[in-house]
Amino acid sequence: SQAAQAAEDGIRVLSAEKRIDLTGPIVKVFLTLKVQNTATGADASHVLIAFTPAEADHLAIVKATRAEGKRKKKTYIPLPVSPADPATAAPNGARLYSISLPTPLKPTDTTTVEVFYVLTHSLEPFPAEITQSESQLVYYRDSAVLLSPYHVQEQGTYVKTPSSRVESFTRVDPTSRSGPDVKYGAYGNQLPYAYSPIILHYENNHAFAVVEELVRKVEISHWGNVQVTEHYKLKHGGAKHKGVFSRLEYQARQSISGASSFKNLLARLPPRVHSVYYRDEIGNISSSHLRSDSYKSELEIEPRYPLFGGWHCTFTIGYGMPLQDFLFESADGRRFANLTFGCPLLNTVVDNLTIKVVLPEGSKSPQAVVPFETEQHLETSYSYLDVVGRTTVVIKKKNVVGEHNVPFQVYYEFSPIFMLAEPLMLVTAVLLFFAACIVYLHTDLSIAKSQASS
Amino acid sequence: MLVLAPAACILSGIALSSAFDVLTRSMKFQLSKLFDDGPAISGNGSPNGSSASTVNTSSSKNEKTEKSEAAPKEKQSKKNRRKDKEVTESVSVKPKKEKRLSVLPLEASIVSTLLLIALGGFYVVHCVWAAAEAYSAPSIVLTSRSREGLHVFDDFREAYAWLSHNTDVDDKVASWWDYGYQTTAMANRTVIVDNNTWNNTHIATVGTAMSSPEKAAWEIFDSLDVKYVLVVFGGLVGYPSDDINKFLWMVRIGGGEFPHIKEPDYLRDGQYRVDAQATPTMLNCLMYKLCYYRFVETDGKGFDRVRGYEIGKKHFKLTHFEEVFTTHHWMVRIYKLKPQKNRIRGKLKKLKSSSKTSSTLAAGRKKNPWQ
Repeated sequence: SQAAQAAEDGIRVLSAEKRIDLTGPIVKVFLTLKVQNTATGADASHVLIAFTPAEADHLAIVKATRAEGKRKKKTYIPLPVSPADPATAAPNGARLYSISLPTPLKPTDTTTVEVFYVLTHSLEPFPAEITQSESQLVYYRDSAVLLSPYHVQEQGTYVKTPSSRVESFTRVDPTSRSGPDVKYGAYGNQLPYAYSPIILHYENNHAFAVVEELVRKVEISHWGNVQVTEHYKLKHGGAKHKGVFSRLEYQARQSISGASSFKNLLARLPPRVHSVYYRDEIGNISSSHLRSDSYKSELEIEPRYPLFGGWHCTFTIGYGMPLQDFLFESADGRRFANLTFGCPLLNTVVDNLTIKVVLPEGSKSPQAVVPFETEQHLETSYSYLDVVGRTTVVIKKKNVVGEHNVPFQVYYEFSPIFMLAEPLMLVTAVLLFFAACIVYLHTDLSIAKSQASS
Repeated sequence: MLVLAPAACILSGIALSSAFDVLTRSMKFQLSKLFDDGPAISGNGSPNGSSASTVNTSSSKNEKTEKSEAAPKEKQSKKNRRKDKEVTESVSVKPKKEKRLSVLPLEASIVSTLLLIALGGFYVVHCVWAAAEAYSAPSIVLTSRSREGLHVFDDFREAYAWLSHNTDVDDKVASWWDYGYQTTAMANRTVIVDNNTWNNTHIATVGTAMSSPEKAAWEIFDSLDVKYVLVVFGGLVGYPSDDINKFLWMVRIGGGEFPHIKEPDYLRDGQYRVDAQATPTMLNCLMYKLCYYRFVETDGKGFDRVRGYEIGKKHFKLTHFEEVFTTHHWMVRIYKLKPQKNRIRGKLKKLKSSSKTSSTLAAGRKKNPWQ
């Protein structure tokens, strides 16, 4: 790793621009780095980015792209990002991620890399408890200068808040604020791992919908249907509600009462979805709307009561989809199901996601291919007319956001003769029953001989 | 009247069955006559021929029926020596019966059969509609039809779901006994009295608490370790089975066990009223206050849709309870018992219900848990 470090030592960041989007409950950061390889002999194949330990714990996703081409022919090619080798030293426990460049950077060459990352649970509500008529204010902690393992020659940080009510923000000159935007102005010539902590205290009344646990069960049936059942445990993750809840105030003064509460959520489902149900443990919830068109369906659900800070609710959403949209055959003869990872609810963060893909009986050697790191294991579930049980692929992931809603594949082998198993079982059962009836009707079980025969 | 329903069903079933019988037999007879008669009809005169064939077919049918009659009769009465006599009797009776057999014309019987089948089909549709409209109303979800379609009042389940998710597992909920089982099953919380409570004194305690003024009610509920009080109020939407209509039972049951609850205190001219004519005891009792808390602010006048008049006491504050949840249509209202206020050492608050405090003073200063 000493050699690797030597190569990266030569990289300098010529200019860095960090745009922080604080308008929702999840923090989204866009980082544009223009790097130059100032080493004389070696080519640089990676670019490292650094996060504080707190940021690294709450990091949901990191993506990097590089622009190719000029002006109108610009295309963005994605670059793989992975946690760097833990042996590379970083002071104060900072964690490093390494972006692999497609072509190594020659000495004195420059390139621009765009990094996008999402931080969850990074907005701390302050005050921690609010009444119904108060607005929600949150703290956001970050650094005015970019935390980077390299020298940064020139940089600026731009913070965007949802409303123009910014209670306070740390000033690190030059800092300027105009309405909802705060700019931490151009800083020059920063040493590696320079850090200048700032706190922003601002108003954020966006719905802080946190799904504490989501269990999605996808049952694939070769008779033409994919049935999805999702069990949610939803919580309002913002400032806790204290005191009175007055329905009168909530209904009459809607603009100021319950500003940070939310009463409906939107779920994006595939098109051609049928038999959608929305219920909880005590029965069906009738307040929902489904709108479909040819490329998506939108389900708007309203929990039984509006959610204020700290309130929970649980519910189940289920729907069926036609099999031909999701099951395909791969080049090597295996079948694969192309499903969407993540949670269909928009603008939510899932703390614990479990996806169970139940494959039809008789499937062999299942394999799930997911574009990011997940925990996987196999289980067996039993359903109707099962003899040996159905292989289930269980995929678990923590800290899932909307950017994780990408397709993933589950491959398995299935010989078509197994499709006859269920109908043959039913036919045999009915046949045996009828045969038993015939036998019963034709046997004479009486002990004494009947008089008529004499 | 309900006893006649199964009898009517069976009779109509028999009628329909015999109608089908007559019609299908007519059709069968007419069709067979049509096919048999074809070549013969040119030869003979039609009425003679038809009557002859009628007799022929009826006699052939007679033989068939005779045989079939004989066979079961043989089986049934093996020891009966009179079977020969019976057979001859049935033979002699049969031709008379057969001649009186009504045979309807073919077109009429076909049309009638189709109409009967259509009647059966419409009956099924009607029954499904009647069951959906009149017999499918679970009392927990109420519906009403308006111009915009079906309006659903799911307030009960909303309140129980809120209780189950947003209160602690050990919290106790006090309500009238009607909602006991529902609260236990759906909200999963401990209740004070439920639908199977045999202990009349316990129900009377809850009834007394609902009929007492706020402070006395708070003390009763506090002694039962209650955290939440649930009341059902239909005045905003017009739901008639709410707690104000059931209030007379709370007073009577409570008064039966605790003599300080006297029913005449709540009656004006022999009636329970909650408008301006109501008695002061009624306007100060806990049930009134919990149901109508801030109700006047909904429409400015406090018009109760169930009772049909404006309420008596419109503007008041709650001192010992605070509102924690009210459902969408105000049908279920949940209140929390406020914790006891801190007493300042050396200074006692104004002695209101002096009977209790004087007794404690007499017995020696009770140990103040808040100091």
